[in-house]
Amino acid sequence: MREPVFSVLGIFDSSQQLLDAIPAVKARVSGRLDAYTPYPIHGIDAALGLRKSPIGGMVFVMGLIGAISAVAFELWSEGVDYPLVTGGKPIFSWQAFVPIMFEVTVLFACFTAGLGMLFLLNRLPFFRHPMLHSKSMPLITRDKFALAVEADGKAIDIDVDAIAAALREAGAQTIEVLEQPAPLGLLSPNFLMRVVLGIGITCFVAGYLTYWGVKLFPVTIPIVHMLDQPRLDPEREDSFFKDGFGMRMPVAGTVPMAELPFTITKQEDAAILANPLPRTESVLKKGQKNFNTYCSVCHGALGNGVPSLTAAYGAKPANLASDSIRQLPDGEIYYVIMRGKNAMPSYAADLSEDERWSVVNYVRVLQRALNAKDSDIPQEAQK
Amino acid sequence: MDSEAISLPQDMLPEILRTQPVLTAAIGPGSLDDLVLGAVERKPPRAWYVAIACTSTVMLVGLALMGYTVATGIGVWGNNIPVAWAFDIINFVFWIGIGHAGTLISAILLLFRARWRNAIARFAEAMTIFAVMVAGLFPLLHVGRPWLAFWLFPYPNQRAIWPNFRSPLLWDVFAVSTYFSVSLLFWFMGLVPDLASLRDRTTSKVRKFLYAALSLGWRGSASHWQHFEKAYWIIAGIATGLVLSVHSVVSFDFAVSLVPGWHMTIFPPYFVAGAIFAGFAMVVIVMIVVRTTMNLEHLITMYHLEVMNKIILTCSCLMGYSYCMEAWTAWYSMNQFIHHTFWAYIAGTYAWAGWLTITCNILVPQLLWVRRFRRSFPVMLLVAVAVTIGMWFERFVIIVSSLHQDFLPSSWHIYKPTIVDIGILLGSFGLFFTLVLLFARVLPVIATSETKSALPGSQPHHAGGTHA
Amino acid sequence: MSESGVTKVFTLGAAAGLVGVLATGFAAGWERFWVNWILWILYVLTVGLGSFFLVVLEHVVGAKWSVPLRRVPERLSSLILPMGPALLLALLALPVLYPWTRPGSHDNPIIAGKAVWLNVPFFVARVAACIGLWLLAYRILVSGSIRQDREADVRFNVRARRVAPVFMVVFGVTITIVAFDWIAGLEPTWYSDVFGVYIFAGTFLAGLAATTLAVLYLFARGKLPGIRPDHIYNLGGFLFAFTVFWAYIGFAQYLLMWYANMPEEVFWYKERLQGLWGILVLVLAVVHFLVPFLVLIPRDAKTEPKRLVWVAVFILLAHWLDLYWMLFPVLGSGPVFSWPELSFAMFFTFASLLWLRRMMARGAAMPIKDPFLREGLEFRL
Repeated sequence: MREPVFSVLGIFDSSQQLLDAIPAVKARVSGRLDAYTPYPIHGIDAALGLRKSPIGGMVFVMGLIGAISAVAFELWSEGVDYPLVTGGKPIFSWQAFVPIMFEVTVLFACFTAGLGMLFLLNRLPFFRHPMLHSKSMPLITRDKFALAVEADGKAIDIDVDAIAAALREAGAQTIEVLEQPAPLGLLSPNFLMRVVLGIGITCFVAGYLTYWGVKLFPVTIPIVHMLDQPRLDPEREDSFFKDGFGMRMPVAGTVPMAELPFTITKQEDAAILANPLPRTESVLKKGQKNFNTYCSVCHGALGNGVPSLTAAYGAKPANLASDSIRQLPDGEIYYVIMRGKNAMPSYAADLSEDERWSVVNYVRVLQRALNAKDSDIPQEAQK
Repeated sequence: MDSEAISLPQDMLPEILRTQPVLTAAIGPGSLDDLVLGAVERKPPRAWYVAIACTSTVMLVGLALMGYTVATGIGVWGNNIPVAWAFDIINFVFWIGIGHAGTLISAILLLFRARWRNAIARFAEAMTIFAVMVAGLFPLLHVGRPWLAFWLFPYPNQRAIWPNFRSPLLWDVFAVSTYFSVSLLFWFMGLVPDLASLRDRTTSKVRKFLYAALSLGWRGSASHWQHFEKAYWIIAGIATGLVLSVHSVVSFDFAVSLVPGWHMTIFPPYFVAGAIFAGFAMVVIVMIVVRTTMNLEHLITMYHLEVMNKIILTCSCLMGYSYCMEAWTAWYSMNQFIHHTFWAYIAGTYAWAGWLTITCNILVPQLLWVRRFRRSFPVMLLVAVAVTIGMWFERFVIIVSSLHQDFLPSSWHIYKPTIVDIGILLGSFGLFFTLVLLFARVLPVIATSETKSALPGSQPHHAGGTHA
Repeated sequence: MSESGVTKVFTLGAAAGLVGVLATGFAAGWERFWVNWILWILYVLTVGLGSFFLVVLEHVVGAKWSVPLRRVPERLSSLILPMGPALLLALLALPVLYPWTRPGSHDNPIIAGKAVWLNVPFFVARVAACIGLWLLAYRILVSGSIRQDREADVRFNVRARRVAPVFMVVFGVTITIVAFDWIAGLEPTWYSDVFGVYIFAGTFLAGLAATTLAVLYLFARGKLPGIRPDHIYNLGGFLFAFTVFWAYIGFAQYLLMWYANMPEEVFWYKERLQGLWGILVLVLAVVHFLVPFLVLIPRDAKTEPKRLVWVAVFILLAHWLDLYWMLFPVLGSGPVFSWPELSFAMFFTFASLLWLRRMMARGAAMPIKDPFLREGLEFRL
């Protein structure tokens, strides 16, 4: 038994003949008409009664969506999610967002036009159309024009002879009858489209989850680019140096910044040092603060050698108000801060040069306070 | 009024007013297929093998040097401080510019209904795609760690940061990728009917499978053509705006900065005009080669070449206007830094490049005012090559000369390219021409279905009509 | 209304406007008078020049479809003729509005440095040269075309094709000079090298809009027989394309100045974006770009006369607004609009319409002896 007929083709030699044939054949037969041509023919859309292509509207809507989503994303990412001030521009700098908005609009619009046309409207790729396996197809893509009367799908049998006669009368050179293809099964274009859509949705969801996942859990091993670096970490051992220490001592002869080396080795020699700071209130206040921080622990808040330390500490801190220390020039006190004395360690690392001299000034204050005389009281208070 | 309208026969008109033929032989759709598609089916002439051997050698040298750069670092280039951008960005802007001609011919001329565009649109579009591919290599290389270039795209990542959408460099990423993907889509769409023709002509089973797959089962149905035409025209219309925007965004890389000589508001239209200029010159070169080697003189006629040359001349005048505006505005601004930069263009270290640019871009193309020269192959090629060189050097002057002496004299420094720079530049030409040669071998260089639709007698008559 | 009735209305309108115009200087101040005068001169001039550019473009490209329509922009370009003397009259505005003419301005080193350009004799020479070149081109291209109606000499087309490209160059230079001298010159320390292109974009668009409006007006009255929707579509397409082009150039200039934020450049925008001026510029963006763009997107919209008329009117209004937004901040206050502006609008609009009516009535509405007329009428998309 013959396969059911899909369509009857009439092949014409010129586009004029094809266009003229359409109304003639339409009048004589029922069935869907389609034309196959090597290039688009002016006026054929109207002759065949084709509906206007919806692609313009699709493109406009998608373009608009592209524009809005681009601007919204830019505003959100640069203004809300991780606000960043670049070049002194305001956070919601719409002017700078326009170029990308334009490009994304174009991208969405063009891809809608191109892919929408191919996949959605033309339902391509589709390789099982009977036309593709017909004898006429090479003629069509070369230089001939075909008019096809197609069975509507419900009709099992169409009157091939009547249609062929109508086509011949309208001027067709050859007639070809195409048969229905065998039913497809699983791999239909619809199925493929759904698969593609599914992949798309999966990617989108995966991206969303990835974003929130890594936002909540910042480090995802093994992608740890900047964490795992060949560098020396503080307080870690490192095989780079022979002794395994990551942290190194400064090279011999290193001098601290902002200070000249202190080369005096004997306390007496330090007498020549001049105190650069005047005894103003701000200097003395600074000295008080530093003294209370560093010195009062051992020498006591009043500097009289009565500390808050218990006797179990062992050493006996000096009484700074004692006569021997009162007689010392400023430079020698400075020397003691720098080099330490007996059980007292050097405080050179704890105090800057200015801070040391301010402590010296404050020590002088304490010395005077603990050796106060009646004549020290101001006139008005002597009542 | 209608009856009074006169129309003189062509031979009564002076030559300058006569309509030039777009097609100089009687070619029908069948013979067009044999001519154009036959070239894909036949073995190419020996010249093709020689040509591709040369271009691929140059290309491989360039690719090797690119690999060397990636492995060793940007230090192998001549870039320094302050000339932090040099050959990398010059080549990028140069190649993107060349790509613009293809879209202009393909899209903008379609909108103007210029029939002459049909014969050259396909390979012009292909040139666009290849030029953008070559151009894209340079931003990729110049970031230093190209394997991390994907960081430029906004995807959710574990650093929880986004790229800087306010930066013109990122606008570039979006513009160039959009341009590439849209051009590729447009080109592919146009190819589908032609691939269907190839599918139906070929006897080799392997080729038939490939062409059938790529042509997506195209069968030339009228309803398909309807959607196809509409989509094609819409993309052409949008691509026009895209072309303007892409090179404008590239120009923003420079113009949004404060560098004297870069921050000129005329940069966007100036760059677009320059891109069209350079691109058309390259298309003319390829056109001449294609028409001679593939026997397509009757389809790619002297008319085509003359119109291309007129457009090149127009662009040369636009460039002249831009140069004059820049120079005059630089003076008018009374800004000492801009004054110095412009003085350096013509009398500084790189003055030779400045004068080369002016000569190649403005002076040489003026030959095209003369009709005889517009129709002469030696002059055309001379002008096209001069424009290509001139446009490369224009970018060189803009980038290197402006950067090497900007605000702070203590930062001034000379730039010298290294052999790696030059090798990569030559390699990019090798890559481009290799791709063009491969395209000519594998795909039809003329859009056969488009051209067929405009041949005489191809369309049914509508009560008298001209398409001028 | 009858033809003479319309003429009467226009004449009355122009006369009423003229009274207000003359009164402005005395009642509202000479600054107000001159800024309005310059705005309207530039407006009418740019409409004329834009239309003229369309004519020149046709000759350069050798387009056939526009041949039947060419007489319309040719007549519109006759607006250049009265604007020549008007521009010379505007020279009296120099000491009133242009700071560089005042003696104290040379204390500013920027203005002093360019005194070789910004001085009155050279300025006058430039104005005269521009007017002279425009008149020369008008004589060759437009008067020649009108003469061809009588003489049917094909040599006009040959001459036009040869002269047109040269005039393109001249046009580019002269419009840039007009832009910098008359508009940017109000703030002589400002500079922007795309400004000439920006004014060109607005000019060409205004010319296109005026041409479209005139073509549709004549077409509706049957004065352009043989014109088809195909021709109208091309006009609509041009309007669409150049609306986008104007917006592109305008936005590009703004974006670049905003981004670099250099005080010597950006002050021009700062003045024009604060307070009510900012609202005005939004209105300008909507009327000059957004509305025409959205209305003209669909293909069919470009052939619908009603839509095109509205778009053309919008664009012509927007072009006025564009010039207003650029020029009026020189008055130093917010946007002002009252009887002086209305009087100037009435006078110049009605006077221009009267002029154009007289010009159109002088001859055929189409270049009847152009050798390409038939081909142009047979044009199909």
